Amino acid sequence: MLQILINSLASGATFLLVGLGFSLLYNTVRFFNFSQAFVITSGAYAMFVTVIIWRAPLWMAIIIGASLASAIGATIEIYVFRQLRLRRVSSWGLLLTSLSGYLILQNTISLLFDDVTRSVRLGAVQVGHEVGGAYITDIQLLAIFVSMIVLFFVMFVLRTTSFGLAIRGISSNPELSVNFGISAERTILLTTLFSSALAAFAGMLSALDTDMTPTMGFRVLINGIIAMIISGVGSYPSLVGGAFILAMSQHTVVYYFGSQWMDAVSFIILIAFLSCKPLGFSGRRLKKIEI
Amino acid sequence: MDYLLHLVIFVLIYGMVALSLNVASGFTQLISLAQAGFFGVGAYTTAILGLQYGWPFWLNLPLGMGVAGLVALPVALVALRTVEDYFIICTMGMGVILFSVMNNWVELTRGPMGIPGIPAVSLFGHPLTEKWEWVLLGAGCYALVFWVANNLKRSALGRILVGISEDEIFCQSLGKNVGLAKLQSFVLGAMLAAVPGALYAHYVSYIDPTSFTIQESIFVLSIIIIGGMGNLWGGLAAAAFMIIVPEALRFVGLPGGVAANVRQMLYGAALILVIWLQQPKPTTGTVESGPAGRG
Repeated sequence: MLQILINSLASGATFLLVGLGFSLLYNTVRFFNFSQAFVITSGAYAMFVTVIIWRAPLWMAIIIGASLASAIGATIEIYVFRQLRLRRVSSWGLLLTSLSGYLILQNTISLLFDDVTRSVRLGAVQVGHEVGGAYITDIQLLAIFVSMIVLFFVMFVLRTTSFGLAIRGISSNPELSVNFGISAERTILLTTLFSSALAAFAGMLSALDTDMTPTMGFRVLINGIIAMIISGVGSYPSLVGGAFILAMSQHTVVYYFGSQWMDAVSFIILIAFLSCKPLGFSGRRLKKIEI
Repeated sequence: MDYLLHLVIFVLIYGMVALSLNVASGFTQLISLAQAGFFGVGAYTTAILGLQYGWPFWLNLPLGMGVAGLVALPVALVALRTVEDYFIICTMGMGVILFSVMNNWVELTRGPMGIPGIPAVSLFGHPLTEKWEWVLLGAGCYALVFWVANNLKRSALGRILVGISEDEIFCQSLGKNVGLAKLQSFVLGAMLAAVPGALYAHYVSYIDPTSFTIQESIFVLSIIIIGGMGNLWGGLAAAAFMIIVPEALRFVGLPGGVAANVRQMLYGAALILVIWLQQPKPTTGTVESGPAGRG
């Protein structure tokens, strides 16, 4: 039982990272950008190339992965989504574009690296530290640590800096913010850069923990999105709760029924929340009523 | 020649899935990503009934439709409470759940091993073995599904559905039962998806869950978006295009695994292209030839 709790904390930490990056992005662009799934994967594969093929140290991999992911995210944003917004494509049009874009890019990765599972595990599998009969690995500790730091950093940026103010402005009322001299495109671009870097961190942590495949990004992203929706869109601190509830239910189901039901259970949680508490447990509105 | 007929059969089958998706989301523009799941429910129902109980195809087909409808009903009740993007995410979740059930309920579906040796359809005691017979059967079923979809489009319900795509709240203010209309179209779409599912199972004679993934749903969705949402003939043309073009890869000599990847990239690119070229206010497909005041 304690083991389930520890595992949930660790994967919840990864979900929290993805969820934070994704909800920052979602709140500014207002559509589900599935191409972030590729950004997650690219972070992980950048680490694979740096650490395993180039034999470079891990810190270099983190820098390369985060910058590559930011570059990819920004490129997609500038050359695809900005253009589509200028054409006033509806939000489902943007969603489908991002989904198809993800398909194209993910299959590129499959062609480049094959559809096999790659590992960045350094040396033998570690047992981890014992805590009251359960085990916690270094990677899991790292995940929890990183996500906590990132959470506080995000809260700090949002509350105190002008960039944070711009994000909050664009999130709550895009038209009015533009009237007050906030550049929407610039804010979106900066948010994309930042959330892509977070996505890359999540991808790397997830790869260190459970290895990588070309389709890993989608699963990681979906968990982030679900955590975001069940905790209530637009509320960053309650993401911790959303991520943890999701991780906890996943690990409980995996423990009792087997890992093959993991994907299904995430969506069951999501659907249960959408049908019972469509505003998420923090009570923020999903969508304003339009008349 | 047989190869060409084989392609025709596939175009008809996926054309039918596209028609059913048009019924479920083409008119209302509520994008559903669960359609491949319902397609799979139809396929699995007829396969299991036909193989384990030896029931005839003509009995299994309506049963498959019934099961798909029954599965779709709770899905619709839950998913239709959400709006826009959340509806897409919700139906995507339903698709994943249906896939997980097919993949993991090993006692019933044999899971990833799939169900081999599904018997061919018998027509008046004569089993269909020739490709051209299948083409005729496929065309017959296609005509039937097309007839249903086309009649729906002209019916009062169809007009409410198109109204929903344009202005749901206005439609509601005219006293139309918007929720019921959406529910009916979603369930009917799922039932229609079971028809090509049954044909697919009996024609290919082997099914496994990988034919009914989210990627398949996106594939079908790209067919109806390329054909124009709600445009029934456009769907058939787009299905032909989307199935025949990737087949050309076979002749380029790409190895199987690579071809599968390239195929997904192709339809992803086609989808992006169509969305890119869309007019600012997308009403493509719903505005059709014929005088505006007709009917």
